[in-house]
Formats: sequence, structure tokens, C-alpha cells
Amino acid sequence: MSITPSPEHLNTDIALRDQLSSLQGLLVLSMVMTDSTDDHHIVHLAATTVGSLGDVRMCGIHLLDGGWQEATGPCQRSEIRADIEAQFVVLNSTGGALAIQGERWGWAYPLRSPQGHFGSLVVCADAEPDAHAQFLLRVLAQQTGIALANARLHGRERSSAEELRAANTALAETVSALERSTAIHDRLTRVALAGEGQQGIAQAVHELTDHAIAVEDRYGNLLAWVGPERPDSYPKQSVADRAAVLERARADGQPIADAGRLYAIASAGIDVLGALVLIDPEGTAGPHTRVAMEHGATVLAMELARLHSLAESELRLGGDLVEQLLAGTLDDTAAHARAHALGYDLERPHRVVAVGSIDATADHDAFFHAVRRAASGAGVGTLLAAGTGTVVVLSDADQDWNKFREAIDGEAASGACRVGVGGLCSRPAEYPRSFEEARLAVHLQEAVGSHATATTYEELGVYQLLAEVAHANGVEQFALRWLGPLLEYDDRRNAELVDSLSLYLECGRSLDVAAKALSVHRSTLKYRLQRIGEISGHDLGDPDTSFNMQLAIRAWHTLTALRSANR
Amino acid sequence: MAGTSSRSLGMPGVSVEPGDHLCAFYTGQQERDDVMLPYLRAGLHAGDKCLGIVDSNEPASVMNDVGDGIDVDACVESHQLELWKSTDSYLRDGKFTIDRMIEFWEETVGPAVRVDGFDFVRVFGEMTWSLRDMPGVEYLAEYESEVNRFVPKYPQVIVCLYDLRDFGGGLLMELLKTHPKVLLGGLVFENPHYLSPDEYRSVRS
Repeated sequence: MSITPSPEHLNTDIALRDQLSSLQGLLVLSMVMTDSTDDHHIVHLAATTVGSLGDVRMCGIHLLDGGWQEATGPCQRSEIRADIEAQFVVLNSTGGALAIQGERWGWAYPLRSPQGHFGSLVVCADAEPDAHAQFLLRVLAQQTGIALANARLHGRERSSAEELRAANTALAETVSALERSTAIHDRLTRVALAGEGQQGIAQAVHELTDHAIAVEDRYGNLLAWVGPERPDSYPKQSVADRAAVLERARADGQPIADAGRLYAIASAGIDVLGALVLIDPEGTAGPHTRVAMEHGATVLAMELARLHSLAESELRLGGDLVEQLLAGTLDDTAAHARAHALGYDLERPHRVVAVGSIDATADHDAFFHAVRRAASGAGVGTLLAAGTGTVVVLSDADQDWNKFREAIDGEAASGACRVGVGGLCSRPAEYPRSFEEARLAVHLQEAVGSHATATTYEELGVYQLLAEVAHANGVEQFALRWLGPLLEYDDRRNAELVDSLSLYLECGRSLDVAAKALSVHRSTLKYRLQRIGEISGHDLGDPDTSFNMQLAIRAWHTLTALRSANR
Repeated sequence: MAGTSSRSLGMPGVSVEPGDHLCAFYTGQQERDDVMLPYLRAGLHAGDKCLGIVDSNEPASVMNDVGDGIDVDACVESHQLELWKSTDSYLRDGKFTIDRMIEFWEETVGPAVRVDGFDFVRVFGEMTWSLRDMPGVEYLAEYESEVNRFVPKYPQVIVCLYDLRDFGGGLLMELLKTHPKVLLGGLVFENPHYLSPDEYRSVRS
């Protein structure tokens, strides 16, 4: 006997299985939502599921930290959303019935999980749904809350993991930078300790940076080069450009780029001693290269300071020796011993060279170093001493002294200078004499009012003869006999009759040439010569008179120079 | 009889029975391939007839990816492997109808068993075509229910592939009700309460 179920019983069975199937579906949907890490996807799945759970309609999902999502139906209107939000305050996190304008039934299902309350699932219907549909909606809301909690936990873990990864990356970069910096420091420290000098520093920085490296002194002169494509003629900036670059580098306190080069200055306090230069025409130098340059410049500063201090000591000791030689306070044996101690060969014949600056206000120290550089560069000599307005060099080689003077002019910022060269000294005891001769040569240039030039004592001619006359009083009486009234007139009237006469006679008595040299009109000079004849009572047209007056003028100049040299 | 024994789905520890109709959920094309390609390879290795419809790429691309020591050209020549595009099957003539699609399966699965003598047929369909705005796509859930009427007729397994990124919760719920089994995350879930085609139709009417 078979039992055929009644149609009512069959329909109940189908409805029950539909409900169970829905519940089964919700469980699978829950797995899908929990597997998602995207809030929007979870919310979308929940929102699109509502309609399949019974005769209910989706209104929207309100997240506490995200506002309304998937708002539809009545919740598309802002005033209804605001009204519902006001009801949330009363409902708190438990959910419950909602009064939704235009709807007969409304409900807020809380989106909850053990981690907290995330918001509400809001639905509406034309009539209150059956208990089963409401149960499914509650399950859907609960599963949505759990899925949201899971997604956020996952998001925080991912964020923490990313932060940790970023921190690890930053730490690794810092460690790597420190290791590179340590390697740079170690390499340059080895250079400094080994005393490899400027060349060693340039070599180390070249190896650390793969760029050609130049070491320059403060003036831009090349001291060392390591790397390819060394220029045949090293380019030198103008004084103004050089000063601007060094000042910018000093002010920035770090390497600066200029015209395809990276400059790192080597300084001691505010004094710039030199510069480390990285050749970088493509401008590719990165932070590690700059670190290597900064370290290199520090080591270079120590090296240049050491060399500077050494040079200062040598200069001071050399200066002391020169002063004693010129004063004649050393006997030959002591002088040779002192010179040997300084590594200097005094047994070669020398001349004393006196260099005087025309500019009385010139910086003595700067003028001294200009002479020192020129003397070193021209091979004139390395033993120097400084006096007031005059620098003395002991020279062991004959030179083109005017070229030496021009070299000094090129180095000195104070302008032109006069160079006087004394006679040859074959032994130390002769240095005072050569010194006097050199000074006389300089002072004679001053006395005759000549332009900047270089004069050797041997070239002084009659001046040399006059200077060597044993009785200077006789020379002075001779000069005054011929020039006395004119000198008195010049002194009283601050006039230039003697200088005008001197130039006229030195120019071979040519009115035109002398007037041009004096920068006066020809008729002015003619008038002055007439006055000279009247005041002196001498006839300039007489050859003997003319000769004696020219000799008297040279004698007077010699006396002036001698007095000046003896001051 | 070979046609009545369980079959490997191609994934470790996952097997299916002849007459199974599965809904396989995935996220993105890589996960689709992780389900589809092992399923095909297992079938081709076992000598099963393999029929499939792809939508997000070309059949040739799938054939190229099957590989794994299988002579795909020989499988295609012997008609062991047949793949179609969705526009030549589900959306043939620019629309979807349940009856025509069931007929399509009858015309492909039936001869494979009756004429070509395959013991077992593996069918799969990538269902993303149903997201397009085409006539008849709204009958998708009802079609899936009708497939349950077709699947016991032959020694076969039908796997329907759904991308979770694209389908809403409502449709997923319907699919869960119309598929006796669900493949999700490498696990097969049975739905003992699923509704037969007639029951589903009566509930929805």
C-alpha cells in the first residue's frame, strides 16, 4: 500500500525545503563574504541577497564609519535617511522596528560581530514578513557583520604587515647607507693615516665615485688629478667666479654643482684651503657620491692644513735666516749650517732681490704671498723675508727680472711693484751689501719717479758710481751748487722745476718728448725752462752747464735714494 | 561500468558522481583556470568526452593552456575535446532561451555517448555571459534548475563556473538552490534541500 501525500502536505514540504535551501545558501554566501577582504563587495553581496529571502525589499546598509551604502527605494531620499538615522539613536546596537515613510513595515538589523557593531541592514516590506524570512534576514545581517569584522581585521593585518615591510625596507636602506658611509670613511681614513697626500685622496674618491677627481688650491690651481681625460691645460676660473663658487659652497655647507663639476671645499674654520672637484658633465652625482665628496673634502682639509702649517713654519724659519743674513749677524759657517738645516743650498751664488709695492696701502701679508708664489713659480727662489712695504727674496739664478715683476703683478691684487736686484754674493758675508744695492735700485726708481720696472744694481750706471763715492758730503755740495735755488724754489712753491729739468735733459733736450712725458703743453715746458734759467742763473744752452746740471740731478736722486734706503 | 563510477574533479581529494550538477565559484580568471584546467586534464587523461563553453577568452586560448603532456590537437581531431564560445552556444542568435540551450546539450552530449561511444562526458560552462544586457538572460536561474532535469539522462557531470566578483547575492542564492552541489574554495558542499525543476518552478510561480 502506498501513501500519496496530500497537495497541502506536498506544498508544505517544498516550502520547508525552500527555506532550508535558503539557509544552506546563506551559509555558503557567508563563506563567500568572509573570504572577501573588500567592504564594498561584502555590502553589495548582502544588499543583493535581501530580495531572495522573502517578500522584503532592500533599503540600504548604514555603516557607522562609512555612512549609507547601497541605498535604494525610500532611502534614496536624504530626508528619509536622516529620519532613519535619528531612529538609530533610540535603537542603539540592538536593531528593531523602523518607521519608514511610505512603507508599512521597516526594520533595522544590526551588523554585529564579537569585534563590535558596524551598522545596520535596513529593509522594508508591504507587510510584516513571516518569521522564517525575518530569521534569514537576521542571519544575513549577522554574517555580514562577521564578514566586515574579518575584512577589517585582515586590512589592519595587511596594513601592519605593510608598515613592517616599509620599516624593514627603510631600516635596510639606512643600514646600507651607513655601511657605504663607513666604507667611505674607512677608505679615506686609511689614506689619511698612510700619508698618501692629495694624490691619494683624489685616488680614493675616484675609486669610490667612478668619476675623475681634481684637487685644487684655493685659487683654482690644479694640485692633483685622478681619472680619465685629464685636460692638457687645466681650466682656471676668473677670480670673481672662483670667489663666488667658494662662497656658495661654504654657505651651503655641502658639495655644490657648477658648470659640470661638483665642488666640495676643504676649509679650516672660515678659511678655504682648497677644493675637491668631481668632474660630472652629465650631472649624475647621487647622494652616495656627495657623501664620498664630503668625507674626501674633510680629509683634504686636514692634509692642506698640515701642508699649510708646514709651509708657514718653513717660511718663518726661512725668513729668520734671510733677516740674519741681510743684517750680517751670521758668520759663514753658521749661515751654511742654518741653511742646510732648512734643506737649502746657500753655497751657490745668490743675489738679494728687493720688491716694493707702489701702493703704500697694500696688504703686506697678501703682497708677501704674491711675491712668494711668483718667486716659486718663476724659479727665482724660496727664501724670503718681509719688511715694511718691501719683500726680499734670495735668488740663486739670474732671471728676466721684468718678467718676474710682471708675474708678481699678476699674483698681487695691489697692482704694480718695483723690483731692485742687488749684486752677486758668493758668500754669506756679502748679503748685506747686495741687500743695500737692491734697496738702492728700488729707491732710485722712486727718486727719479719712474714707472714700475725692474732694475739691477749693475745697470744703474752713473747712479752706481755716485752711490759708491766715499764722501757723500762732496756729492751733496756739488748737487746744491747747481740745483740749490731750484730745489729751494720747488720746496717753497711746491713746484716741479727740478723734475721738469731732469726729464728734459734725460730726453736728450727734446721739448716735444719731454712735454709729452710730463703731460704738459710744449709752451708750458718752454716757460718752465725759461724760469729755470732765471732762478738758477745758469744757461741751459751751454753744453757744459747742461751736463753739470744733469749730473747734479742724478747725484741728488742718488742721495735721496740712499737716505731712503738708510731709513 | 565506467560511466557509473565516481570521477576526479582534477583537484586533490575532490571527486564527483555521474549526474552531478555543480556550481563552481571563483574569483578572477586565474582561479577559474585553477578549477577548469585540472577538470579538463583529468577528463582527457581518463578518456572522457570534454565539452565546454568559454566566455572571457577564446577556446583556442584554453586549448593552449590545457597542455600538461596532452596531445590537444589529437583530442580535438578525435572530437574528445570540443570547446565553444558563449556567442555560439548560450547566446546563439543574440539571445538566450532555456529550451534551445537544453537542445544544444542534447545535440552535443547525446551523440558523444550514443554515436562516439564515450563512457563519460564532462561539461563545463563559463557563465559570465549572463551579465550582459541580452534578451533572455533573466532566465538564468530557471535554466540552471532545468539542467537538473537533463543531467541524469547521460553519464555526465556539468560544472557551471561563476565569478564571485560579478554576481550579486540574490542570484547566488538562487544558484545555490538550483545546484545540488557547490564547489567553493576547493571544497564540495552538498545541498540536500535543493529543489527539483518542478518544485523550483512552483515556488517561484
